[in-house]
Amino acid sequence: MNTKRNENEFEPKILGFLCNWCSYAAADKAGTMQKPYPANVHFIRVMCSGRVDPQFVLKAYEEGADGVIILACHPGDCHYKEGNLKAVGRHNMLLRLLKQFGIEEERCRFDYVSASEGGKFVSVITDMVGTVKELGPLCLNGK
Amino acid sequence: MKIGVYFCKCGTNISDRIDPQKVMEEITKLKDVAYFETVDFLCAEEGKEFLEKDLKKKKPMRVVLGACSPRDHEKTFMNVLSKAAINPYLMQMVNIREHVAWVISDICKASDKASAYLKGAVARVQLHEPLKPEELNVCPDVLVIGAGPAGLKASLSLTEAGRKVVLVEKNPVIGGMPVRYEEIFPNMECGPCMLEPMLGDVLHGDNSENIELLTLSEVVEVAGYLGNFIVKIKQLPRYVNPKKCIGCRECIEPCPVSAKNEFNCSLDERKAISFAFSGGLPNFPFIDDKVCIRTKGENCRLCEDACIVDDAIIFDDKEKVIEKNVGAIIVAVGAELYDCSNLTNLGYGKLPNIYTSLEFERIIASNGPTEGEIQGFGKKGPRSIAIIHCAGSLDKNHIKYCSGTCCQSAFKFNQFISKKLPNTKIFHFFKEISVPGKETFQLYNKALNNPDSMFIRYRNINEIDVSIENGRLAIHYSFSSGKRCKSTADMIILCPPVIPSSDTAELGSILEIPADRYGFFEELHNRVDSIQSKLKGVYLTGSCQSPMDIQNAMNQGLAASGYILSGLPEGKKLEIEPIIASVDEERCSGCRVCNLVCPYKAIDFDEEKAKATTNSVLCQGCGTCVAACPAGAIKGNHFTVEELLAEIQGVLT
Ligand SMILES: Cc1cc2nc3c(=O)[nH]c(=O)nc-3n(C[C@H](O)[C@H](O)[C@H](O)COP(=O)(O)OP(=O)(O)OC[C@H]3O[C@@H](n4cnc5c(N)ncnc54)[C@H](O)[C@@H]3O)c2cc1C
Ligand code: FES
Repeated sequence: MNTKRNENEFEPKILGFLCNWCSYAAADKAGTMQKPYPANVHFIRVMCSGRVDPQFVLKAYEEGADGVIILACHPGDCHYKEGNLKAVGRHNMLLRLLKQFGIEEERCRFDYVSASEGGKFVSVITDMVGTVKELGPLCLNGK
Repeated sequence: MKIGVYFCKCGTNISDRIDPQKVMEEITKLKDVAYFETVDFLCAEEGKEFLEKDLKKKKPMRVVLGACSPRDHEKTFMNVLSKAAINPYLMQMVNIREHVAWVISDICKASDKASAYLKGAVARVQLHEPLKPEELNVCPDVLVIGAGPAGLKASLSLTEAGRKVVLVEKNPVIGGMPVRYEEIFPNMECGPCMLEPMLGDVLHGDNSENIELLTLSEVVEVAGYLGNFIVKIKQLPRYVNPKKCIGCRECIEPCPVSAKNEFNCSLDERKAISFAFSGGLPNFPFIDDKVCIRTKGENCRLCEDACIVDDAIIFDDKEKVIEKNVGAIIVAVGAELYDCSNLTNLGYGKLPNIYTSLEFERIIASNGPTEGEIQGFGKKGPRSIAIIHCAGSLDKNHIKYCSGTCCQSAFKFNQFISKKLPNTKIFHFFKEISVPGKETFQLYNKALNNPDSMFIRYRNINEIDVSIENGRLAIHYSFSSGKRCKSTADMIILCPPVIPSSDTAELGSILEIPADRYGFFEELHNRVDSIQSKLKGVYLTGSCQSPMDIQNAMNQGLAASGYILSGLPEGKKLEIEPIIASVDEERCSGCRVCNLVCPYKAIDFDEEKAKATTNSVLCQGCGTCVAACPAGAIKGNHFTVEELLAEIQGVLT
């Protein structure tokens, strides 16, 4: 279904969920610092990582994403007190679910970046792209 | 659906790195996109003017803007949409500058990525709904809890601006802790003189008719939210009619019973009918029914007999519960001192002549138990006094933090003692010295230059042992080298840290505001928003938020009143951001998961219907409940499931 999977160098598609207050701001920061990173990750802005519904992650895989990354404020820094802690809980649950589908853990990453951590943002994203490149394309049943 | 797409070149910031032509070709292919405009600088005045005109001319049903970060300019463009008579929520901004142009060097890849983002936005924006801020009638009146410096300053500034204040004070007198100090650091001003004008203003100043002072009162119940709290206040009977009493004190002397006077740290006694201390305001006594023998069945009327006016004493006064409607609440209940008997080796409470800083304040106060005299040491006074700093602060076995005010009290005492008792030697035993700011070092310098004072740095408070030797207090301590040493004193003053008052936990649960790890009320953000509590409409001021001096307590009182004057405008309606959650009753199964995850207590549960309901005032729009609801019954405005799924699909395909 996807032509990219036949190319020589595999360019994964990754979806990233960023919370408005920390990780989205960190991505802005990386931008203003003009720090380049691989183009493979597309970001979706939500107000808080706690808004990330497991069905969004599943939808991403269904739509052809090879990986998903959720970035939240550091523990204690969530703009809404503890949405990020709820998000960690859901991420753990998701990993169990993904296992049943045969999707590797590394394809669904959760991490913390603060608004000021433009550098960390770039390295986390770069790392994620590298990891998914190594894993290769995600083949879901029948696709 | 007619969607208008605007592409901001941001000078060349964007158009050098993303090919507008290529993006346009991709985007105009989409079925609902009616047009694609490229603009030089969308956020510049000309850009905004162009956008407004163009929107008015083309009348799109939805708008997508490819430009910079929405964190920068979403509000800017929402305003432009409003001016063009388009609901501002019918727009989606795409960050093709920070998230694309500036971080991808390959123009092909960057253009593809920008197109992908714009496709996501086009897919999402079609589902956007026109949203309007909800408007709410609010009560502009304010409840202030605690009549210390912080609460008084807040009350005065609010009433100066024409607001009505209900000021609730637990004690029979107002003024908080500082009315008990003879002198105030850093300038050694007379405490009562400094505060009295303020107390006078509260009681009978120009705006005092707008302050309803309830002494001997405590808040017992709070319901509601910003703009609309219903508060229940329990007021204990005073048994004295403030409208009749003239404060002449004739009633005190004849009273046959007495008890320890807690307002003087129990260093002396007071009668069953008494004043907290002389000069305490408001200037009328109270009857302590736990002490008065009438409550034990005796028909004593000695105070009434002595009273020179009629009906000033009301023996059948009753406890009242008073209900008030207010729009905001200021918490200003102050703090306490760490209990020095926890420092078992120091002998506090067991050996004579060992006092806490607060007790010493009362001893040296002219309205205190000894009228300011340090008694018991003959005419010359004590030969030496030891002041032990950090009595429990910065210590993992006691209190971890430094209160930042105790050293200043210690140097205040140094000044006072050297003036009053010129022959007395003063030892400062300290672990650390804290004298921040532009003024407080002065008292420290004076103490350093005082030939009668000595500074001794000890290693650990737990290594200090106090005992009686030859009728004097012997202090054994260790230097940082570990070497043991001994000093002798006639009196010891302990300067313990400031800790949350014993009421904090209970009041916190009544107000539903959390405490931090030390037990002080927790601020919304400790740098940016230390006056707001975690609950909208409840503000924290003074030492109930953190240990602080009077200056800071007053400043916080002012800050809270500023918050209220700007955030809770009188006569206006409160606008509530529409990005909030709402429950679809049909789909709600009553499982209460949302109740558990909401960090703002913004979800109520209707027991009768067994359904959850959201409170639009308290909801902050984080969306955690939306993601948590197993029935999909909660809608998060502007970030609905459908909108986000469409965006995901749009971006990825
Ligand atoms: C020994 C000592 C000496 C000090 N000397 C100085 C000094 O010289 N200069 C200086 O700047 N700072 C000094 N400070 C600090 C100063 O005391 C505080 O900054 C100040 O008291 C803080 O004011 P506040 O309004 O927050 O609290 P407080 O002064 O404690 O007032 C709180 C008020 O709330 C009332 N209250 C408590 N609980 C309730 C309740 N549940 N319901 C209703 N009312 C309630 C209390 O009765 C009190 O009237 C000193 C502190 C200490 C311990
Ligand atoms: S706001 Fe960033 S995780 Fe909640």
